[in-house]
Amino acid sequence: ISRDSRHKRSHTGAKRAQYRKKRKFELGRQSGNTKLGPKRIHEVRVRGGNLKFRAIRLDQGNFSWGSEAITRKSRIIAVVYNASNNELVRTNTLVKGAVIQIDATPFRQWFEAHYVQPLGRKKVKKEGTAESEELSKKRSNHLQRKIDARKEAAKVDPLLDDQFTTGRLFAILSSRPGQSGRADGYILEGKELEFYLKKIKSKK
Amino acid sequence: MSEQVRIFVREFEIERAFQKQVGIFQNPKVIKKTKSRKKRIPWYKDVGLGFKTPKEAIEGHYVDKKCPWRGMVSIRGRILNGVVVSTKMKRTIIVRREYLHYVTKYNRYEKRHKNLAAHLSPAFIGVQPGDTVTAHISLTFVSFVRSMISPLSKTVRFNVLKVQKKVQKGSKQFE
Repeated sequence: ISRDSRHKRSHTGAKRAQYRKKRKFELGRQSGNTKLGPKRIHEVRVRGGNLKFRAIRLDQGNFSWGSEAITRKSRIIAVVYNASNNELVRTNTLVKGAVIQIDATPFRQWFEAHYVQPLGRKKVKKEGTAESEELSKKRSNHLQRKIDARKEAAKVDPLLDDQFTTGRLFAILSSRPGQSGRADGYILEGKELEFYLKKIKSKK
Repeated sequence: MSEQVRIFVREFEIERAFQKQVGIFQNPKVIKKTKSRKKRIPWYKDVGLGFKTPKEAIEGHYVDKKCPWRGMVSIRGRILNGVVVSTKMKRTIIVRREYLHYVTKYNRYEKRHKNLAAHLSPAFIGVQPGDTVTAHISLTFVSFVRSMISPLSKTVRFNVLKVQKKVQKGSKQFE
């Protein structure tokens, strides 16, 4: 695989003659095609002696919730949409820009500890069901005052709230697993979330 | 619906990935108490060198990472003028630059021309063949004297900064 432009036709359309062999600095490597599974990462020595971490299989990533400005490590459940190729969705391949579903529990735990409000709980509660430990814990006066001050801010977009109820959040990968060996990204919100939900629905 | 909103909606439906400016966070939490800082979304910048930012670049709905005002490119290097030859490509145009070449044997000049491909931001609407265009070359400076071209695509190395409409015959007459 080479990345040169000498094999391509020029701007005027002329066919360029081959006058030298392929050079090492023009090399390209096989694609990583990172799948979901127990972590498996290969190291590649690249130009200059540097390392690239080719993730072959990944199952967790660091995801950030933009509007709350927190980041949590979370399990990746499935690949749900890919703008470039449907094949990559079917084979659950992790690439930058792939829309995926992640485990919502780390984010829900943070939210309930920070705002002391239930998130993603079913509206109708059975009689005698214990509230989560986080919600009913006794807190110091100092902490309680801080929590009361945050009450106003504890609103969550209804689309996100639905996702918390199912326990899976939609996120998009912003790192390149085949280069850095990590599957990091951010939770979809707002217009972007609506866009991708529409795309996913129209696929089914 | 205005033309620009219609284009935005079309992009929403046609494009397979969500079009947005990279690095601009669009979903701050809306809380009643805090005053909205009125940050302009989409983000735009002033390119400098005295080039006026087109109104469309400020108010329009398009997303273009190669636009001088809305995108990730910077204005550096040579600035050239030319005449638009064709606008058939998506967001790029062909610009024709004419010049005279001196032939010493005959002490005379001959006409020559070069075509170049330039990126045309959606901020410029209604560009027709025949309009005059000012474009800048996108350059990356190295520590030595020679500057490298930083290509916007395989053949596009220029970005349009200003468009002057072709003067129609008789357009200056009073109605």
